[in-house]
Amino acid sequence: MSGELLIEIGCEEMPASWLPRLTRDLARQLQQRLTEGRVVASAPSACSTPRRLVVAVAGVAERQEALEELVTGPPVSAGYTPDGTPTKAAAGFARKHGVEVSALVEVDTPKGRYLAHQRHQAGLPTIEVLPAVLAATLRDLAFPKQMQWDAQLDDGKGELPFGRPIRWLVFLLDGQIVPFTIGRTSAAEGADVAVVEASNVTFGHRFLGSDPGEPVTVHSIADHRAALAERYVVLERDARLEQIRTALVALAEEHGGAVDLASPTLAALVEEVPDLVEYPMVVAGGFDEAFLELPGEVLATTMIHHQHFFPVAARQNGLAPTFLAVTNTAPENAERVSRNAERVLAARLRDARFFWEADRKVPLESRFERLATVLFHKRLGSYREKSDRMEELVGWIARDVLDRDDARADARSAARLAKADLATEMVGEFAELQGVMGGIYAREQQLPEPVWQAIYHHYLPVSPEPTAAPAKADLGAGAVTWAAVALADKLDTIVGLFRAGERPTGSRDPFGLRRQAHGVFKVLIDLPELTGLSSRPSLGALLSAADKPFKTEDPEKEIEVGAELLGFMLERLQYVLEQRGHDIRNVRAVVGAMGTNVIPLDALRKLEVLPEFTESAEFRQLAVAFKRVRNIARELPVEEFESAEATGGELGLSLQEPAEKELLKEIETRQPVFDAALATGKDFRRGFAEAAKFGPAVDRFFTDVFVMVDDPVVRTARLRLMKRLERVILQLGDISEIVADAEG
Amino acid sequence: MTLQDLIATLSGYWASRGCLIHQPLDLEIGAGTMHPETFLRVLGPSPWRVAYVQPSRRPADGRFGENPNRLFKHHQFQVILKPAPDRSQQLYLESLEACGIDCGAHDVRFEEDNWESPTLGAWGIGWQVMLDGQEITQFTYFQQAGGQVLSPISTEITYGLERIAMLLQRVDNVFDLEWAPGVKYGAVRQQEEVEQSKYVFGQVDLAPIEFAKFHRDLFDRYHAFATMLLDSRLVLPALDYCLKCSHVFNVLDASSGVGVTERTAYILRVRQLAVAIARAYTGAAAEDVDE
Repeated sequence: MSGELLIEIGCEEMPASWLPRLTRDLARQLQQRLTEGRVVASAPSACSTPRRLVVAVAGVAERQEALEELVTGPPVSAGYTPDGTPTKAAAGFARKHGVEVSALVEVDTPKGRYLAHQRHQAGLPTIEVLPAVLAATLRDLAFPKQMQWDAQLDDGKGELPFGRPIRWLVFLLDGQIVPFTIGRTSAAEGADVAVVEASNVTFGHRFLGSDPGEPVTVHSIADHRAALAERYVVLERDARLEQIRTALVALAEEHGGAVDLASPTLAALVEEVPDLVEYPMVVAGGFDEAFLELPGEVLATTMIHHQHFFPVAARQNGLAPTFLAVTNTAPENAERVSRNAERVLAARLRDARFFWEADRKVPLESRFERLATVLFHKRLGSYREKSDRMEELVGWIARDVLDRDDARADARSAARLAKADLATEMVGEFAELQGVMGGIYAREQQLPEPVWQAIYHHYLPVSPEPTAAPAKADLGAGAVTWAAVALADKLDTIVGLFRAGERPTGSRDPFGLRRQAHGVFKVLIDLPELTGLSSRPSLGALLSAADKPFKTEDPEKEIEVGAELLGFMLERLQYVLEQRGHDIRNVRAVVGAMGTNVIPLDALRKLEVLPEFTESAEFRQLAVAFKRVRNIARELPVEEFESAEATGGELGLSLQEPAEKELLKEIETRQPVFDAALATGKDFRRGFAEAAKFGPAVDRFFTDVFVMVDDPVVRTARLRLMKRLERVILQLGDISEIVADAEG
Repeated sequence: MTLQDLIATLSGYWASRGCLIHQPLDLEIGAGTMHPETFLRVLGPSPWRVAYVQPSRRPADGRFGENPNRLFKHHQFQVILKPAPDRSQQLYLESLEACGIDCGAHDVRFEEDNWESPTLGAWGIGWQVMLDGQEITQFTYFQQAGGQVLSPISTEITYGLERIAMLLQRVDNVFDLEWAPGVKYGAVRQQEEVEQSKYVFGQVDLAPIEFAKFHRDLFDRYHAFATMLLDSRLVLPALDYCLKCSHVFNVLDASSGVGVTERTAYILRVRQLAVAIARAYTGAAAEDVDE
């Protein structure tokens, strides 16, 4: 180890949301490219501000590692004539590597004995290797959206698109400038468009300091840090974040309020602001108390989403007429900046108040017709049509799925009005308030709580974690109606868009259908906690009800769409259950074989007890045997099995061997226990325990009995036995999955 | 600084930076980008530097002259620098200084905001420039216009003149701005805002259905005429009629005469025209226009 490496890519303001990922990628890609370039180096550490991506490596070898490589040539047999003279092949190979044939070695390979050349390539000085390392690293960086800026590299790959234009480049190995140039395309190059040459010159904050915009020369990593620190650049994101947090909390207190930076509404903002500034300075401002009559959600959205301002909670409850803004300027400007920010916010709040007042003049119900002009999807019609479908579906869900006929009328009203706020001025301006705004307007109109709560929360949940919003306490009297409307909305969207041919593929999921499916399963598996209900809806019933309005006369299409949809939903259910920490093999066992009959809540309950069994020898023995059971049972098609069961007489009479009689007895005695355990969905532990007891009988059966005998009567009887056993155990799941390879 | 001083200052500043000072397009349009001095000049290889004021009509933003911040028509100061100079951002910041804004005394930031115009088949990468939390400028590196990938890249700077003047004059209501010494913005423009808002929101002595029909007919006739002009190889007149389509569509949209599906179809028709015009201008080989 000898030198230190410093790279600073000075750029125009990079989008804040890209920086964390970009910073990690820069360190990782540089490390990988150094390794590929055979340069031994300590781990790179990267940091960034909106105007610079910096990566430093404390220890870099002076020279590239030498390359030792064995290059194989022709087989020995083809290298020499019988009298030992080298052939043309051997001579050619030697010449290609600049050595005599006598210098070649012989190596044994799986294909035989070959001639080979031991190649040595001395390492180059690191400074000669670094330009290619940086070129590759620049190309490696991926941006959510990249731009052309008339730049190119002479690495043979032409133009160099980037996230934002690069304006300077510090590239120093142990204080020495590494020669590197970013060229410009001939279309642009000229007096005002020049190449970017690597140098030892950086720039401080754009506006602050005694000589903003003046270049400053640096010679080392430490030098660079010090120079930037003096010039109002806090290079470490963590340091900026900490300064911001401290100032926010202190200022809120100073103004008689508080900011809860961990709250879901502020957490994302607090993670964003450090990447918007080089020198964070927090200012406080106020607004007219009269604006506090606006709903808190509207105030917060105006401040957070439109201005990146932090609302301040009042001591008592609600919001204080105060906001905090993270700026990129010096403390002496605080007063001026704050006054201007107050004027901007006041203008925004006046707009919001205008919408608030205008919207409330018209009841939500009367906006329903306007929804006919708001398109949901070109093949599925307007939101008006979607609302009609949701209203039908939600009524069925309330009565037949959740068993709450009493909630049906409210659920229907909520579903009918759920999308009405799309036609309000407020949602036109603040799209992120959809649902919430409808809920608030419904509340203002004195609609019953189960109705407005369901509207308010119906876009939730948007993620599957147990802690994802809404919490039971948030739902008040609207828990049941919310569950019904949320399910109806999401199921209608998923089924409808599958029908419209918008099925997600690979990384493409423009309508967020995966997220919608996660929402469906979150509602279904957390139903008891969120609503106190004990119903256990099956996936198939929900899908087929949601699909009713879209049915066609084309049986082939029906089968195709049905299979696609079911496959998608089962895959999403497995994902959600795996996210909850369950072993993928167990998840496959309880979901995979179930098909449309899967009850998501039962699947979760099974997974909670299944690990108690998967390590027991008895259960694993059964799992292995069950695979055989399933394979053999496949020999008897379902229709034949059913007709044999119906007309083939008492199974016991057709069985002869003791082992098979014993297995039948086991099934007959244990079946009632299973049925009882499974019917309530409450005692899967007992179910698995019972299943484990089948092990010895099944093993004995396979040892003593040959199923596929020539006698068709005996064979069918034995297959019936296998099929019955399969059916009993499949109620728990395909337990053969638990002994499958993890990769499956 | 009055509004007219601001315009004079920016014009002087950009003239001294090598820009030709052009005049507004004499048609109803929604943004300075639609002016041929931007839309056509950014195409192809020839360098160009131009600046001009463009009155910009946004029917949906009409508020009957009652809203202190929203206008049916506002004024943009548009600058095109082609190719995009390395010092684009500095040039812009120096123009603010020229207008009397001390950037070091404010919180001036470039916040991600990529610009896109579906009707023009154009998009760019850039920022909204924020001054103490107020958006004052859209700053864009054009990437595509009329469906064509651009080389070289142009810098487009679009100042919101009313916003900047309000900031300089410290007024909270646009109608209180001083346009010229002793003459308020309201005295110059309020009646226009009231009447134009009434028009675009259909408050006229004509049934809504007739109002919509009139504009739909206009759109179709302008569209057909633009196509004819293009077939006659008259690129600039064709662009005029394409922009007339765009404006008529905006009026229809504001007066709620357009459903969402239909909306998409209208935008597509304008884009197809814009793409064909751009292609005729550069003589580019015919390519398939994506939807």
